[in-house]
Amino acid sequence: MEGLRLCLVCLTAGSGVPVYFRGRGVGRQLPFSVIGSLNGVHMFGHSQDVLLSSTCTENVRVLWKTFHDSISLIVISSEEDASDLYLHRLMDNVFHAMVLVIGLDELVNIKNVERLKKDLRACYPMIDSLLLASERIGDLVQCVDCVMAYDTPVLQECLDAFSRAAASDFGCLVAQGKVVVATEKWWRLAAQEVMLLTWLVASLAPHSSRDYPVYLPHGSPTIPHRLLTFQLVPGVHVCMLCGPTPSLHKVETELVEVFWKPLLEPVKACLRVQRRSFPASIPLHQGVLGLLLIKRDQNRLLFTVQAQSVEKPPRDGVELSLPERRSILRSFYTLAVTQYFSPERSDERTLPLLEEFQAGYSHRASECYIASSSHKCYGLQMEQCQLFLLFQPMVPTFSLRRIANETLRTFKDAPF
Amino acid sequence: MEERRSRGPADGGENESRERESSSSSFSSSDDLEPEWFDSVQKNGELFYLELSEGEEEALLPVNSPEAPSVNHVRFQENEAEVMPASQRKEGKKVEPTLKKLSRILKKPQKHVGKKGPTSILKQQSSPKTGGTVQQRYKDVCIYVNPNRLSSSGEGEPAELLQTLVGIIHQPSWSSRQQGRQGGQNGNLKYTNEEKLVVHGLVPGSSAIKSTQIIIGDALIAVNDVDVSSENIERVLSCIPGPMQVKLTFETPMVEAEISMKQKEKQVQSNMNNLARLLLGEDNSDLQLAIQEMPHIAMYLNLKLDSDTSKEEQEILYQYPISEASRKLKSVRGIFLTLCDMLHNVTGGHVISSSLIVSGKLVHVAYWKESDKLLLIGLPAEQVPLFQLKNMISDVARTLKVMYSSLDSAFCQVENVPRLDHFFSLLFQRALQPARFNPTASPSTQHYDACSALLLDSLLGVRWLAVPEDIKMEIDTALSDLEAADFAELSEDYFNMRRLYMMLGSCFFYKGYLISSHLPKDDLVDIALYCRHYCLLPLAAEQRIGQLVIWREVFPQCHRQPFGASGAEGYREPEARYFLLIVGLKYFMLPVLLEAGGCTAKAIGNPGPDCIYVDQVKATLLQLEGLDVTIEEQLGGPSSPCLSCVDWFLPSSRDKLESFTNTKIATFPTSKSALFMDASSSLRTRRPSPSRNSGGSDNGSEGPGDGAGLSPHSTPVLERKYGRRESQGSGDSEGSGGSGSLFKITKKRHTLPNPFNLGSLKKNLSEKETEELYNIIKLTSGSENTLFHYLSLETVQGIYICPTHKEVAQLSGSIHPQLIKNFHRCCLSIRSVFQQTLYEKKMNYLDADTSSELKKTDSGLGPVKEHGVLFECCPGNWTDQKKSPPKMTYWVVGRLFLEPQPQEFYVCFHDSVTEVAVELAFKLSYGIAL
Repeated sequence: MEGLRLCLVCLTAGSGVPVYFRGRGVGRQLPFSVIGSLNGVHMFGHSQDVLLSSTCTENVRVLWKTFHDSISLIVISSEEDASDLYLHRLMDNVFHAMVLVIGLDELVNIKNVERLKKDLRACYPMIDSLLLASERIGDLVQCVDCVMAYDTPVLQECLDAFSRAAASDFGCLVAQGKVVVATEKWWRLAAQEVMLLTWLVASLAPHSSRDYPVYLPHGSPTIPHRLLTFQLVPGVHVCMLCGPTPSLHKVETELVEVFWKPLLEPVKACLRVQRRSFPASIPLHQGVLGLLLIKRDQNRLLFTVQAQSVEKPPRDGVELSLPERRSILRSFYTLAVTQYFSPERSDERTLPLLEEFQAGYSHRASECYIASSSHKCYGLQMEQCQLFLLFQPMVPTFSLRRIANETLRTFKDAPF
Repeated sequence: MEERRSRGPADGGENESRERESSSSSFSSSDDLEPEWFDSVQKNGELFYLELSEGEEEALLPVNSPEAPSVNHVRFQENEAEVMPASQRKEGKKVEPTLKKLSRILKKPQKHVGKKGPTSILKQQSSPKTGGTVQQRYKDVCIYVNPNRLSSSGEGEPAELLQTLVGIIHQPSWSSRQQGRQGGQNGNLKYTNEEKLVVHGLVPGSSAIKSTQIIIGDALIAVNDVDVSSENIERVLSCIPGPMQVKLTFETPMVEAEISMKQKEKQVQSNMNNLARLLLGEDNSDLQLAIQEMPHIAMYLNLKLDSDTSKEEQEILYQYPISEASRKLKSVRGIFLTLCDMLHNVTGGHVISSSLIVSGKLVHVAYWKESDKLLLIGLPAEQVPLFQLKNMISDVARTLKVMYSSLDSAFCQVENVPRLDHFFSLLFQRALQPARFNPTASPSTQHYDACSALLLDSLLGVRWLAVPEDIKMEIDTALSDLEAADFAELSEDYFNMRRLYMMLGSCFFYKGYLISSHLPKDDLVDIALYCRHYCLLPLAAEQRIGQLVIWREVFPQCHRQPFGASGAEGYREPEARYFLLIVGLKYFMLPVLLEAGGCTAKAIGNPGPDCIYVDQVKATLLQLEGLDVTIEEQLGGPSSPCLSCVDWFLPSSRDKLESFTNTKIATFPTSKSALFMDASSSLRTRRPSPSRNSGGSDNGSEGPGDGAGLSPHSTPVLERKYGRRESQGSGDSEGSGGSGSLFKITKKRHTLPNPFNLGSLKKNLSEKETEELYNIIKLTSGSENTLFHYLSLETVQGIYICPTHKEVAQLSGSIHPQLIKNFHRCCLSIRSVFQQTLYEKKMNYLDADTSSELKKTDSGLGPVKEHGVLFECCPGNWTDQKKSPPKMTYWVVGRLFLEPQPQEFYVCFHDSVTEVAVELAFKLSYGIAL
């Protein structure tokens, strides 16, 4: 277990045959006996009509989850900020990533485990990117990381026209794993699907163009669609979902050049806002280090831990590193949504796998904050909007609320 | 030594009489002087003697036979042989054995098992069809008798015991006449040689009349299943040794309206006291039934199994409850055993908890591993959040270790099983249905208890009530005198031998509030945990305790540690044994921790409670009894920070204008916010309640030291207010001003709706304008008291401070109870964040030796010092369709002070409070404790 910070084991639910093993951090694979016992206790519970969901020790969390009675996932994490919420969502994402790539049928009706193992290799890049502590937060929030580009209207117009020309309703412009613009229909896909599609595009090896069959986990888990991706500049892809037509060749040769060539500069500009996720023209309070803005109704989020366009050099060397900032914002988000804010959507789970602590409140919690010696955080929830801010410690606690409300107003009408 | 212990102790507890007794009858062992609790001492020396006060005892009566006693025991005379099982017993039996048997029976607590209930009910239903004959039937009535009261009331005629003790008037001459008449009606009666004890009247105020089940015309035929007649009744009754419940069996000639009877019983049952029932370990199957649906379990498992013996369930050393509720969890114990073993091997850390889904419900299971045994507690997440469960299991483990020295000795001894069953039944009742626990309390108290239990039960501390200095001094002096233990009998030269015990310390509770403690923190927490698990503190909150004596050997945590591990160098904890003695009287409770074997005589075997010590403690309690008025006053008065009710801030359309006028009146330039002002003034002093102020003449009754240091410049109102023990100089004038104005505001709110303003405003302003105006003024004035609730936890002393039940009860409103519930739930969550901070700090501290101190974890929330949550609420019944309901927002903020000692402070206040006030309130919380 040494060095291994997070590992994921996939087994067939019925027979307990290991299908694959992925991990984060350096370390060797867990001994088979351990995996066997972990799976054994879960299966034993199942036979007794008791569903074992999670166990935590002083330093490790273990979670079990079975999907469609055919695939079991076990995740073992020794990271302190790995909450039950995150690990549950991770397993959910991993399974649906598998569905996205090979389809539900193959996962539910396993005829040949060896064959399945081979098929699932295609998922490894994507699963690894989900396991990796990434700069995005969509896996935890279950929304799509977005980027607010300089020329959003122009790009939007171009994308809409491009999609129409390709006879597809689903088009999207992705810059380094974050969505710049997408067609209206694209946003109407399930939040998890949009998130996974973006993740998939980012995790695939760079190609100038690609025709990739995908099964939408919620929309059409058994019938594949074609995902066409075209690299406009390195790091920026335009993607579209379509049926049997048009062919990849036709779109690539006839449409991409025509529509996107004139917009090369705005497309390149998308990469420049990548770090901050929104243009420098948007003002932000000096003390804000990180920002997470979630528009729940649109399945979008804006996430950055480098909120200042020009950051002053740290004064006394106690500055938080970027991974620390990400970790704090992730933890703070988790704390707020598991303990205080009413759940975003109730249809998500049928079984109460997570403790619904906030269900016990008689009044609605709308804002919360924490203050520690190294940072401060403020979170607030409006009807369809959540904002979480990470502050420098010298920002006075009483002003957090005002800054948060101002920030929210700033972004209220911002197009992203 | 032995003689001394067996020496007859004095009864009662009256100091003088005790001393007189002891000097005269030192070595004469006389049974009649045994204290009431003497027979309850168990073989291992433990004692749990609870005698409820009389009122409570009477209210508790139906408990003994939970399925409506009189109905159960109705038996119809279908054949004569069955009629009088009593009379069939040999009449020629000697009286003496009967009496001995009686006194034996009487001494036992009664346990009725109404097995015959259903059949007899069936028979009864068929009875109307049998015709118009008057059916003879029998009923059992349990009543409470107290011979002590009898003796105190003077020399009653011995022949009148039936009247004086029970309250039944029987006139022999009437009886013969009436019996003759009855005999005519029911010729089947076999009483011929003895006169029947027909009830001719009931003494007003007696137990008999209070039971409401004894009716004139009934005939008493048995007392605790011993036949009685006019011949032997007085002898039988004279055998009643002490205050207790007796079962009286009556023969009743009339067919009563059954329904009304049943209803009556239901009534009595509904307000009976679940808590006391649980405590006494009586049949509580209906309480069990209520939580049966919820999966819950406590198990003690053996991790090391002999492979030779393949006995079924051999790894289960203990389990509770043995019911359907726990079956599923029990059946998957293999999971827990495997995980505990394997994960420990793989990760090197102990397993803390598991979450499972059992019958569609999320259930958390907490682990507590000790050597090769594993304690498990499983409870549904809905009732017990994981964070609380983790605290719970560590509390349980600690309590059990205090009681039995180790988990092994607690669970692995067969004779402990019923005790543990009792322990865990209390635990689960407390955890799963806190609201049902205290049905006699007022609804608001009940609500407060229920929702605060979630949080407060996980705190390692006791609820503290600050009392004025002189009262505190009086108590402290009394406790010190007790602890010094140099009274005649306890002094070593009195008997010229080493004393049995040394008193390590004591503490003093009033209605469950700690008033004074002379114990180190760890010992106090140990005792508090014991009291909490046995619900002693809520018990004392109502006046339930007639007399409580608890004695048991304990193994306090800090004394349990191996030598050298604790304390300064050169000092060793003596190799001693420790005993806990708790004596309760009315609202008071006085736990004392005794040490045997240090500088005192070594304890041999399992010594029972020593009468001298019990009596001394009792004497101390009696000495302090007079203070209850003063302490009650403290309880009743507004809390140190004065509280406000959230409903006042919600303008319902009716009183909006009223509050508007009030806020307008209440503009004070000096007070930025009442939260701060109030805190500043009251943290150092306590005020009597506003309602008392109007009297103005109550200063005289408040003991010495009244009116010592009046601040010369305070207003008359304030003079009354601070007249009691005001000691501050002029520096406090602003603070007083603030709270004084507060007082006016709240009073005005209640009493002075200004009709003139109301009318004119209504005329002149449209509603919307009014609202706007209201909002503006409300936002700017800020002089209202905006503190709703608070909690301060002091870990050094092991105490916490929060508003008293009375205060909370005063703030009645529709939203306020919800706020209190919210506050406690939110604090639980805030506290879990703080716990993490403390844990990490501890870890860093431990790591500091080995690795560089700057090694910081790059994950998690980091060391959180302050955490706040903003809640919104609207009035519940908002009928106005046109407008959205008005919103009221309030903060729940917790702050953790790490220096100098960990201390936690939680407040709940209105949104409008300025940051300066909040900051000052936190700063001042340092002064709140003592």
